[in-house]
Amino acid sequence: MSSRVMTAARAGFVSCETCHLLSRPANRLEPGFCPRCGEKLEIRRPASIETTWALVAAAAICYIPANVLPVLNTTTPAGSEGDTIMGGVVYLYTSGSWPLALMVLIASVMIPLGKLVSLAYLLISVQRGSIKSSRERTRLYRMVVFIGRWSMLDVFVDTFTVAMVQLQPLMSVAPGPGVVFFAAVVVLTMLAAESFDPRLIWDSTKTDELALG
Amino acid sequence: MANENNPDELPQATVERSKRFRISIVWIIPILAAVVAIGIGIQRIRNEGPKITIVFKGAAGIEAGKTFIKYKDVNIGLVSAVLLTDDFTKVLVTAQIDKHAAGLIVADAKFWVVQPQVSLSGVSGLGTLLSGQYIGFQAGTSHERARNFTALDAPPLITDQPGRVFKLNAASLGSVGVGAPIYYRSVNVGEVAAYQLAADGKSIQITVFVNAPYDKYVTSETRFWNASGIRVTSGANGVDIQTESLVSVLVGGLAFDVPAFRPAGEPAAANAEFALYQDQITAMTQPDKIERRFVLYFNESLRGLKVGAPVTLFGLTVGRVDEVGLAFDPKTSSFRPRVLVTFVPERVITRLSEEDRAATKTYMGMMATLAGRNRLLRSLVEEHGLRGRLETGSLLTGDLYVAFEYDPHAPKVKIDWNRDPLELPVASGGLASLEAKLDSILTKIDAMPLGAIGAEVKNAIASLDQTLKQTDALIARVDAEWVPEGTKTMQTLHQAIADADRSLLGKDAPAAQDLHDTLQELTRAARAVRVFVDYLDRHPEALIRGKKEDTP
Repeated sequence: MSSRVMTAARAGFVSCETCHLLSRPANRLEPGFCPRCGEKLEIRRPASIETTWALVAAAAICYIPANVLPVLNTTTPAGSEGDTIMGGVVYLYTSGSWPLALMVLIASVMIPLGKLVSLAYLLISVQRGSIKSSRERTRLYRMVVFIGRWSMLDVFVDTFTVAMVQLQPLMSVAPGPGVVFFAAVVVLTMLAAESFDPRLIWDSTKTDELALG
Repeated sequence: MANENNPDELPQATVERSKRFRISIVWIIPILAAVVAIGIGIQRIRNEGPKITIVFKGAAGIEAGKTFIKYKDVNIGLVSAVLLTDDFTKVLVTAQIDKHAAGLIVADAKFWVVQPQVSLSGVSGLGTLLSGQYIGFQAGTSHERARNFTALDAPPLITDQPGRVFKLNAASLGSVGVGAPIYYRSVNVGEVAAYQLAADGKSIQITVFVNAPYDKYVTSETRFWNASGIRVTSGANGVDIQTESLVSVLVGGLAFDVPAFRPAGEPAAANAEFALYQDQITAMTQPDKIERRFVLYFNESLRGLKVGAPVTLFGLTVGRVDEVGLAFDPKTSSFRPRVLVTFVPERVITRLSEEDRAATKTYMGMMATLAGRNRLLRSLVEEHGLRGRLETGSLLTGDLYVAFEYDPHAPKVKIDWNRDPLELPVASGGLASLEAKLDSILTKIDAMPLGAIGAEVKNAIASLDQTLKQTDALIARVDAEWVPEGTKTMQTLHQAIADADRSLLGKDAPAAQDLHDTLQELTRAARAVRVFVDYLDRHPEALIRGKKEDTP
């Protein structure tokens, strides 16, 4: 089968995750330690799919309050007012700064959502033992890992604004509860991306999974 | 068994993956996230108070998501939608009330739009300039929950502040407006909260609010008066200008106090009603707790008698004229002038109170009951002959007033006690008696035989005419007969005088010549006498010795 690719695991080898030395595992169940760097060898990360699923689920749960709760509380003599992320996007768009609105929309709404969907897709495709477009899926995974660290833009803007706008008697800005959930989404998706083992993409069959343990 | 001895044919032990369903510890993270998120959600839902609708006449300054509902300057809700009502005549404002304030939303809660108000009496709602308008709220006392309200047009009375509300009945509003200050001894102690026309439209009811420490000075004896403007009185002491404050001059104001002659009284209950007097003097001098109305039927013209004209008792004002009109008398089928007067007998009390205490006490005792007052009235009218009369207050304007005085010669009358108001007997007034005298004079003049006198005068004039005609004829004869003769005589006389003039006084007249000579002789004689006198002066001895001869 053309799509059935050669993998180290299938050939009876194990790759060290730290120094990437290919070695013979001591045992299928207990691969032992890397003879070069001493790292604990694992044919595949243990419970990778389960952990990733848990983190993705947690991130998805946090994504809802992150968008519903205000991320910024503005206090003026008129009273206190909370701004959600989408509220800010709408405000920026209606006030004419559509590039800014687009930026915020992409950085704060679409990227976290895209990450969640991407991870879920990877997980499902691995669980279904799909063998299609493994290369694209690996690229997608790399993109998810890469973009993770840039998703804190919103949190960064929020902190910045809170620090800058403290005109105490007239106006003050405080972070809202939403920003905590937003940060949680970002951190959880990053952790989920880390816990996902991209080697699983290439394993692609249930028999393999069974064989590899 | 060969099979049993061959070690290669021994079955391979299988590594069974544990079928026990293990839950990775990592699932705690999503569970934790879910718990926190659901917890926040539940808290939000629990904090979400009731949604209410308020109907406004207009949505001036009300914005969805921006306008707050404030109670005691605390946000208790936020407007979530501003829509028109179904019939497009009003504005339907939907507001989300906070959970902690849900208990305040009862049936008689009040909503209104707070707007900045800058007036001469002060600035209010200044916060709205910065924050925009907000919806004011006042809690109700009801326990019945409600969700639909109609907003007030104006802020309600300030009942959150400690103090009391009183109601004043005034004939007119004057220059008093809402927010006008109320003064007690020139201290600003409250303000006018509202005013409205009475149901019958004949008076104004002003609602005032007196702040807490001062409301105890409003007692049952308190008099309110209009302190607007400036009062200038000029008298023997010069000009006296009185005003409560500059603000009251500009925006009007009310003041209250207890008249000095009255006891302090008990603090008045909230919503107690008072009369509003037009000025301080009226308020401080017009105790009218007991008012009694009487009707008077006059038999003379009421021209000059105005409503409000004073009613005097022995010259002191004790009441006023309330109504002037005609009454139809069915017995005689005619009209008779009817005057309704109000007696304020307490004025007499105050004037008596300084005097004899025992007498005052008796009088007060009589005045305390209607029967006592009636007894006093009977004594005055039926025994002493108290009568009402119309008197001229001012000859210049012809204003009349009603004066009550004793008329000992008046015919006895009995008061009809069944009537209400009681009718008091009247006597002809000063003007009326004057008229009567004039009338009698005119009657006498009328009785004179003016016709006969006229005829006689006519005869006399006729004979006088005849005499004059005869005189005229005589003069004509004199003219004709005597005047030519006279002219001739005069001419002769003239001639004689001219002759005499010529013969006596002419230059060549002999008489003149003689006179000239005589005068010359006389001059000479005078000269000789002068010489002689001179000589004597120098030679007085010559009188004795004779004239000395000039010796050579």
